[in-house]
Amino acid sequence: MTDPTPTPDPNVDTHVPPDATAHVCDRCGRPFVYETHLALHRGLDHADDLTAEEREAFEAAHEEEVADLRRFRLLALAALVILYFGFLMTYAVVT
Amino acid sequence: MGSVSLHPRHVGRTVLALSLALAAWTGVAAAHTGGLSGATRDPLAVPTWLFLLTGGGVVGVSFLLASFVTDRRLVAAVHDWGRRLPSPGRALRILARVVAVGLLALTVAVGYLGPATGVRNLAVLVVWVAWWGGYVASTYLFGNTWPALSPFRAVAESLPSLDRPYPDRLGAWPSVAGLLLLVWVEVVTPLADDPRLLATVLVIYTTVTLAGTVVVGVDDWFDNVDPLAHAFRLYGRLAPVGGDDGRLHLRLPGGALPDTALRGRDDVAFVVTLLFVTTYDGFVATGLWASVVRAVAGAGVPPLAVYFGAYLGGAGLFYLAYRVASRVGRRRAETYLSTDYLARRFAPALLPIAAGYHLAHNLGSVFVLAPTLAAVGAAPLSPPASPPQLAGLPSWFGGLELAFVLLGHLLAVWVAHATAYDLFPSRLQAVRSQYGVTAVMVGYTMLSLWIVAEPYVTPPFIAS
Repeated sequence: MTDPTPTPDPNVDTHVPPDATAHVCDRCGRPFVYETHLALHRGLDHADDLTAEEREAFEAAHEEEVADLRRFRLLALAALVILYFGFLMTYAVVT
Repeated sequence: MGSVSLHPRHVGRTVLALSLALAAWTGVAAAHTGGLSGATRDPLAVPTWLFLLTGGGVVGVSFLLASFVTDRRLVAAVHDWGRRLPSPGRALRILARVVAVGLLALTVAVGYLGPATGVRNLAVLVVWVAWWGGYVASTYLFGNTWPALSPFRAVAESLPSLDRPYPDRLGAWPSVAGLLLLVWVEVVTPLADDPRLLATVLVIYTTVTLAGTVVVGVDDWFDNVDPLAHAFRLYGRLAPVGGDDGRLHLRLPGGALPDTALRGRDDVAFVVTLLFVTTYDGFVATGLWASVVRAVAGAGVPPLAVYFGAYLGGAGLFYLAYRVASRVGRRRAETYLSTDYLARRFAPALLPIAAGYHLAHNLGSVFVLAPTLAAVGAAPLSPPASPPQLAGLPSWFGGLELAFVLLGHLLAVWVAHATAYDLFPSRLQAVRSQYGVTAVMVGYTMLSLWIVAEPYVTPPFIAS
């Protein structure tokens, strides 16, 4: 019982448009659109050898991410409520 | 994780709330749709559009609920869970292969020599009930045992090989073509009713497979060309038992999928085609299709060409839709990861959906025809005139089938979520990257539910 073919791809396949300036990770070479994404990536994937500056950048980016996530959760909750009551009313009217 | 702290209590509460909410939602949906699978019989049932909207809504809601799970360690822990298993011995493996080859020979022989009625012929029952219904389900419910059990592989490995190099530029595209060909034959010919025809198809398949393995070698053939091996390999990634570096592992169902990157567009096309062929099989049995094909055939086009055009066109459309979804995901996530790469990473999330439909479509007939298989198997050449079968399935069985479909969808949403978390450093980016693939899942659910809700119409012009 072997499943040899689909293995995790070691080479993440990227494509940077020629006119864009990418923030490239100096450890693994992966490009990012935003500096905050690069800071998060460094903190998550290269957590063992961060400079003090990079750690600070990671923590700042992480705080920003948490705030954004909170905003997203509110929107998602609103969408759930709308869907729930939308279906409830539709079922009440139709059946 | 740096200084980021984990709040286990908080996580625990979120998970509890989430599972309760999921249970409530799936309960609601199953209750509604359960009553609806017979919508055409019951005049008081909910109208089709609302049935479809509910199905699509459940998938959308499960995406929203999954997006509330934002703890990276929790997401990773779910799919990293695993245990070692002992490997089966060599003797057992050889025995299994001998039995499998014997079964293939018996199936072909009885297909030609046994009675001509489908349900009294062991060949038809072995292929459609035991193998297609039962065994195929075991590849995603248990593990991919096909490389060990395949009689084709067993014979191929004992043959000499010319070892011609396999043309790499073909990739796994031949398996996509092979899958399309097999299902095409299944749709347009009475393969489930005519044992002689079934035996002939088996002989052709065996001959082509053995010739191919002799020319390009066993591994290249089963990796790239053989559609069955390819499908079972993918289903095996979904299964709780899997093999890495020659050892068996126990993992959660679907646990290996977020780590699975398909090799290229060919593999992606294969997964999408796997979903498409199920849809096509159902779609040609709808009233809409019957009227379309009659109208077009009335204009002088050969009916089979209409079927074939819709078949290839539909497969192309499915692939295109998935491609567009990957592009949408890429744009929404604002990433430099290529569209190709995202397509290869998210496609495994579609496999639980395919498995869910397979189980829902086949489990019932496996139960109903199991006594038939036993009775006919006891005397293959002189089976009883009307072999026994289960009188019927309890009424809750329809609900169970819908639960399988739903479970497949929920697992798919979760796999996409875990994949996105694996891909992106920002969790918001991860959520946004799933918009495309979630839209595809919602659309596919609604299409499939529409097909289920339509009354069955025998496809015109073909003999199946």
